[in-house]
Amino acid sequence: MSERKRRSRAGGRRKKIAAREQGTRKYRPYIERNIPYFEILNEEGLALIEKNADILLEEIGVEFRDFPKALDLFKNAGADIDGERVHFPPGFCRQIIQSNAPSEYTQHARNPANNVIIGGRRTVLVPAYGSPFVRDLDKGRRYATIEDFRNFVKLAYMSPNLHHSGGTICEPVDVPVNKRHFDMIYSHIKYSDKPFMGSVTHPERAEDTVSMAKLVFGETFLEENTVLTSLINANSPLTFDDTMLGAATVYAEHNQATMISPFILAGAMSPVTIAGTVTQILAEALAGMAYIQLVKPGAPVIFGTFASAVSMQSGAPTFGTPEPGHVMTIVGALARRLGVPFRSGGGLCASKVPDAQAAYESANTLQASALAGVNFMLHTAGWLEGGLSMGYEKFIMDADQAGMLAVMLQGVDLSENAQAMDAFREIGPGGHFLGAAHTQANFESAFYRSELADNNSFEQWEEEGSFDCAMRANLKWKEMLKEYEAPKLDPAIDEALLEFIAKRKSEFEDRDY
Amino acid sequence: MSDSNEEYEEDIILADLSDEELVEQMFDDLYDGLKEEIEEGTNILLSRGWSAEKVLNEALVAGMTIVGIDFRDGILFVPEVLMAANAMKGGMAILKPLLAETGAKPVGTMVIGTVKGDIHDIGKNLVGMMLEGAGFEVFDIGINSSVEDFFAAMEKHKPDVLGMSALLTTTMPYMKVVIDEMVNKGIRDDYIVLVGGAPLNEEFGEYVGADRYCRDSAEAAAVAVAMVTERRQSSA
Ligand code: B12
Repeated sequence: MSERKRRSRAGGRRKKIAAREQGTRKYRPYIERNIPYFEILNEEGLALIEKNADILLEEIGVEFRDFPKALDLFKNAGADIDGERVHFPPGFCRQIIQSNAPSEYTQHARNPANNVIIGGRRTVLVPAYGSPFVRDLDKGRRYATIEDFRNFVKLAYMSPNLHHSGGTICEPVDVPVNKRHFDMIYSHIKYSDKPFMGSVTHPERAEDTVSMAKLVFGETFLEENTVLTSLINANSPLTFDDTMLGAATVYAEHNQATMISPFILAGAMSPVTIAGTVTQILAEALAGMAYIQLVKPGAPVIFGTFASAVSMQSGAPTFGTPEPGHVMTIVGALARRLGVPFRSGGGLCASKVPDAQAAYESANTLQASALAGVNFMLHTAGWLEGGLSMGYEKFIMDADQAGMLAVMLQGVDLSENAQAMDAFREIGPGGHFLGAAHTQANFESAFYRSELADNNSFEQWEEEGSFDCAMRANLKWKEMLKEYEAPKLDPAIDEALLEFIAKRKSEFEDRDY
Repeated sequence: MSDSNEEYEEDIILADLSDEELVEQMFDDLYDGLKEEIEEGTNILLSRGWSAEKVLNEALVAGMTIVGIDFRDGILFVPEVLMAANAMKGGMAILKPLLAETGAKPVGTMVIGTVKGDIHDIGKNLVGMMLEGAGFEVFDIGINSSVEDFFAAMEKHKPDVLGMSALLTTTMPYMKVVIDEMVNKGIRDDYIVLVGGAPLNEEFGEYVGADRYCRDSAEAAAVAVAMVTERRQSSA
């Protein structure tokens, strides 16, 4: 069969170039894992952490500040309330979560081909979130603008290795604070057709996000399906605040997903040990997710965490070090035992520029997250400077790494073709495999091919300008933006969105806080 | 044996030391964060006729300067500086009423808070710690502080320095709201205004009308001390 195929005409140069440009890998909307989870604690260790978290929840409790609704719900469900402090009986949160929260859910994209399933053995890779600054080789570090925001939405849309458009990819500082959520959500809808995240900085902004999503997906569809996944941080240690709870409540009421994320700088916001930190993370996440299930039983929740350690010398966050990697691995196991999806990780680093430090710190966290079994990997691409800066070149470098993670997680093919026994029979001892029929039939998709790494001869590399990785990435993102074509959007929906935004923006004054 | 050596060190009788030796020992005790020893040393110097101002400057502030340098250079870690600042506060508590009696001023006073809408406070706490270490009296009004909160604290404590912290691009413009209101009320020039937080930069500090943006707590302490000293000299 393959013999004959090789001899038939393939269309020559023109066809080949076209095919190669298409890429050899078919776009998959998420990764399906086919390797085991990396776990570092045994049953006894995990049970100890769970027991200690239960003790924390009961003895010390969690504060829900300036948010009486949470206190009421917990009280009615049988928890002990002392001022704003909630004390949970052992197993209380776990029971509420396990009897209500889905173990996985589909987040719909406006293009159904890009729907993602979050949970189980899947991994969804998502751009970085929240940076006030952007950086590129040409213009250096500067406050982000809405144009930068659009650029990153476009790059994420075009990247076959990222499955999600993300949320606040960078902060568009040139748009008034109280109105920028409109422009951000609109950009995700207009310039991409991958799924996206909602605004969480005020309950009203969460409502606006939901209203805009309704215009895209339809009101009934939205109430019955999840089209938004949004980031809710705990205010560790052991505290939730009204801003985050307000936004979380809005999303849950509409059946939209939230990731309850204890965001920990260990040493400052949690004890300095791994065991202490994971205990606190589990306790906080249990309390937050239980709250969501009381607001709306069955609303999707993700057990999130962001793990970093502070430098004990300065208090600054550090990344890519082994301890937060362990934290992530353990929390992954705890989330699976609880039976909810898990968010963590990303291409985290403290470096200011896309240099060696950035690369190894990010590689350390990306790999650790993938091995730990992260389902929703926020901050996969672009992160620099502890989240203060979104890097154009860094984004391209991380997206390339993201492609490798997908291949790594797919595991090992053991099909008859993959066993390659024919190849051995054909080549035998000595000789080489480059011309073997088996190689001819499989080479194109055999190995991950980085579009960024240079593995040419020294001379060729020099002739081509002696570019380092960041310089090659710089060319790449510019080329991508030049080639960008917007996905189709129904003009009626576009018009409705613009009308909604214009109306809402006119309803209140611009404010810069 | 090294053990007996350590024991020997613990057995130092502060009262038996000469002034010079005692001050040297207090430098070490500050460095090691020993609050009770600093309180004892402070009392001994006072009982030997040192003025409160002299104890403050030559024993405490000088000792904390060494702590500050070693923190900046990465030799001392945050938890150690916290203990040192705490020891310093112990000495300050004894000196404060005496300083007030003689009309001598402490190194400086500061009101610090994280602005409205913002709950990030790790950096702000470090700045407060470093300033206390430098001999400042620091009034920390916490997170999520409104114009009214800042004004009430300024009214009450009459600080030399107002410090504002913000970590969000959505909250940092609020610093301008506070400073504009100070201008409106005609009190802007009564205070040195310092701002900080990771998403700020020098340019933004100028834009909101602060006197200085400081990148970290070590710089904040150095700048605060220098600016207060300068201001006192020029108004003297
Ligand atoms: C820890 C952290 C948190 C913790 C805060 C815990 C706490 N108790 O403070 C938690 C998890 C609660 C949190 C919550 C949120 N955070 Co946050 N957080 C951070 C993080 C990682 C580190 C901040 C920190 O503590 N650094 C360590 C300290 C030592 O440094 P520092 O604060 O910069 O302070 C130093 C100097 O700046 C200076 N300084 C500071 N203040 C002052 C004041 C004066 C007067 C002076 C002179 C100097 C000075 O001296 C300090 C010591 O050297 C930053 C990212 C980053 N790398 O900075 C994000 C970051 C600031 N957070 C961010 C966001 C988006 C949020 C949330 C909105 C996320 C969410 N969706 O839930 C919420 C907002 C909550 C709210 N309403 O405020 C974004 C902000 C982006 C933006 N929009 O501007 C960042 C940049 C991360 C990111 N990429 O998303 N966060």
